[in-house]
Amino acid sequence: MEILVLFVVLFLLLALGVPVGFSLLGASLALFALIDIPMVVAIQRMASGISVFTLMAIPFFIFAGDLMYRSGIADRLVRVADAAFGKVQGGLGPVNVGASMMFGAVSGSAIASASAIGSTMVPLMKEKGYPADYAVNVTVTAAIVGLLIPPSHNMIIYSAASGMGVSIGDLFLAGIMPGLLTGLMLMTTAWLVARRRNLPRGIFPGWRAFMRAALYAVPGLMTAVIIMGGILSGIFTPTESSAIAVIYTALVGTFVYRSLGWRGFGEAAAKSVRTASMVLFIIAAATAFGFALALLEVPAQLAALIGFMTDNPILTLLIINLMLLALGTFMDMAPLIVICTPIFLPVAIGAGVDPVHFGIILMLNLGIGLVTPPVGSVLFVGSAVGKVAIPALVRTIWPFYCTLLAALVLITYVPWLSLALLGAF
Amino acid sequence: MTMTGQTSNWLIRVSAAGLIAMTAIIGWQVFGRFVLGSSPSWTEQASLVLMIWYVFLAAAAGVHEGFHIRIELLETMSSPRNARRVRIAIQMFVAAFGLVLLVFGSQLVWLVRDHVIPSLGISRGLAYLPLPISGLLMAVFALAQAKADRPPAAAEDR
Amino acid sequence: ADTHPTDYPTVQAVDYLGQLLAERTGGRLGAKVYAGGQLGNERDTLEITTFGGLDLNRVNAAPLNSIEPLTIPICLPFVFGSVDHMRRTLDGDVGEEILASLTRHGLIGLCYYDSGARSFYNSRGPIQSPEDMKGLKLRVPGSDLYIGMVRALGADPVPMPLDEVYQSLAQGVIDGAENNWPSLESGRHYEAAPFYSLTEHLFTPEVLVMSKISWDKLSPEDKQVMRRSAKDSVPYMRNLWDAREASSREVILAAGVEVNTVDPAPFTELMTGMWDEFLTTPQQHDLVERILAQRES
Ligand code: NA
Ligand code: NA
Repeated sequence: MEILVLFVVLFLLLALGVPVGFSLLGASLALFALIDIPMVVAIQRMASGISVFTLMAIPFFIFAGDLMYRSGIADRLVRVADAAFGKVQGGLGPVNVGASMMFGAVSGSAIASASAIGSTMVPLMKEKGYPADYAVNVTVTAAIVGLLIPPSHNMIIYSAASGMGVSIGDLFLAGIMPGLLTGLMLMTTAWLVARRRNLPRGIFPGWRAFMRAALYAVPGLMTAVIIMGGILSGIFTPTESSAIAVIYTALVGTFVYRSLGWRGFGEAAAKSVRTASMVLFIIAAATAFGFALALLEVPAQLAALIGFMTDNPILTLLIINLMLLALGTFMDMAPLIVICTPIFLPVAIGAGVDPVHFGIILMLNLGIGLVTPPVGSVLFVGSAVGKVAIPALVRTIWPFYCTLLAALVLITYVPWLSLALLGAF
Repeated sequence: MTMTGQTSNWLIRVSAAGLIAMTAIIGWQVFGRFVLGSSPSWTEQASLVLMIWYVFLAAAAGVHEGFHIRIELLETMSSPRNARRVRIAIQMFVAAFGLVLLVFGSQLVWLVRDHVIPSLGISRGLAYLPLPISGLLMAVFALAQAKADRPPAAAEDR
Repeated sequence: ADTHPTDYPTVQAVDYLGQLLAERTGGRLGAKVYAGGQLGNERDTLEITTFGGLDLNRVNAAPLNSIEPLTIPICLPFVFGSVDHMRRTLDGDVGEEILASLTRHGLIGLCYYDSGARSFYNSRGPIQSPEDMKGLKLRVPGSDLYIGMVRALGADPVPMPLDEVYQSLAQGVIDGAENNWPSLESGRHYEAAPFYSLTEHLFTPEVLVMSKISWDKLSPEDKQVMRRSAKDSVPYMRNLWDAREASSREVILAAGVEVNTVDPAPFTELMTGMWDEFLTTPQQHDLVERILAQRES
């Protein structure tokens, strides 16, 4: 009964169009009123839900991503990828994926990745005769790869939400191979779709030009070395690395690429604080909601339900994946990580899944939710930078959805992809 | 520009300064440990308190600017007349939740006023103070939006 | 609420308390335990308990320091000499006085549970005297008391959340940390820091508190039952704790960790300045003197 109230209120508010954070808060307040818990508790959960050291990585990585775009790092990564793949038919499709993978390796946020690579690639592709829907579809699905390739602020949220000390360093290492695999699969799809739709081909600019482009990109790509190297060698913690990424990018943008002034820095901060507050406000409200879930023992009940349906680990993982995909269509990634980790992680562990491996499954699964309507923030960003309406995008995106789903199946059922690198460091 | 618009801009500027300050604090923490060889003890708590402040202030500005993410399906499916009703209903809910934040956030600040934040030595209430402030601003912004009937969210340029 | 996993002694003790309550009140009272920190960290759940959002809460005494200064004396390093000393003190009038001091903050202190002795472990070598600690980067929880203690001993305190410790140890961000036997075992930190030196610097107990708002709703008889059952769960918890500590010790020793005992005297000497920093009222000083008076002579 109480669970019903919680979810009915949530769905009604969401369906009406009340912003997600306020809907979560409203549902929690309704439940607290029903079971006689002081309202002040909900407010306290909101404040302390974001009073978590590791969550600072969210504003930092979003800020770093925007600075990378403004200081021209995104632009230089696109040029390297263009020099390498531009000559094949529809080559700007795979170029886009390649640039997103490189950008994903230096930025921790899929939203930042979609807006940075999208702002650079989509106009370029349109100019060269690519249809806008194709350009945006490639951009948004490739941005998902950045969730898997470290760094990734969503992995940091997962580590915090797991409440059992899943190492962020392990998660970062575990994401590398699944990220590369998903990227390669998307590249292939982008190429096949381009051939079918008979999209234009470019010209190879020659090795000299390629080397030149690569050289210019080195200071930008160094961000990846600094972040991963800094974490793996123990110079700083993952949260600190995100702040270092901001400082490094600001320095490179100002002194190396010389394209970032005080004005651009201030504008980047103002833009990032909007995105970050939007995400963190939802996480705050999701924490109050999560408290309500825990009081009602929803996690345990759902675990029992899944246990009742099957005790086969393969089927358990399938059920979890389907539930997460369904949730991902209408909710955003960060609050889902906060809400779903305590529910599904114990079930997955019970089915013999390593918590690090489960984190990677969760990243890709909920990442797919970022590009599915009705609520998908990365899809929204793509639609905005490409100026294409969502229905037009969704009509032609299905080959990319299929690719992401195939990657999800592989990553779910081949734990080796996630866990093989863990022993290496 | 309207008064609410000016307030909202000002909130974003203050929040952006908060983000920059937080970057500097964590940068200083790394610098302190590796270059000066001693770890500053105040940095972690100070940046957490700072983050609560700027997140809630910017989230209030988000009610004015309409950047909070939401499902727009019902509104786009409705006739213009009904869409307007839907928008007003949404803003009323946001205003109501803003008032909840104001009232119970104030209670929260009051209840923990003599708890101390470790390593900073200030009242825990100061960490929670942005919630009632943000709630009040949210309620005002939402009511102003409902009156002017501006769409509550435009999904662009995040 | 409890931040420890379901098989932890504190959780089992509160479960046991719930059974006692149900038996003694014919099922009118009971306890439903939310373990594993699912309702939030200790500071958060403490606040929620004072608001009446939770009825019972098991927390470490340390987070109470920022609410009630009289809880500081039992959290001072080297104030207790042994587990017996700690148990004796807390079972007596000192313990009662501190529990009573929580009432003005909306909390009813019911009883103390054990948290064993915390000692230092590190990756460099055994610690015999304070000189061995010079220059060590040691992780501490983000608490002024721990930071002050490690500084006073001549090492560099690094405040860090617990879940970052294993990796930081393995990669040399820090040289060591400190904790009790069960935590050293469950966190597997000994794999990266194989020297465990039994400084036994802290015996900070756990405290079971009840929300005053919930307490005031109980009848006088139920209040009696509540207090008595809480006290009765203490020996049960202590037996569980001792067994848990012994099994952890076995695992750690079997893993080849070098364990050494330490003479606390030279460490204790370095504490006087630090103690004075945290003891600001005559009442606190009085408590410390009464604690020290109960040491075995
Ligand atoms: Na990334
Ligand atoms: Na979605």
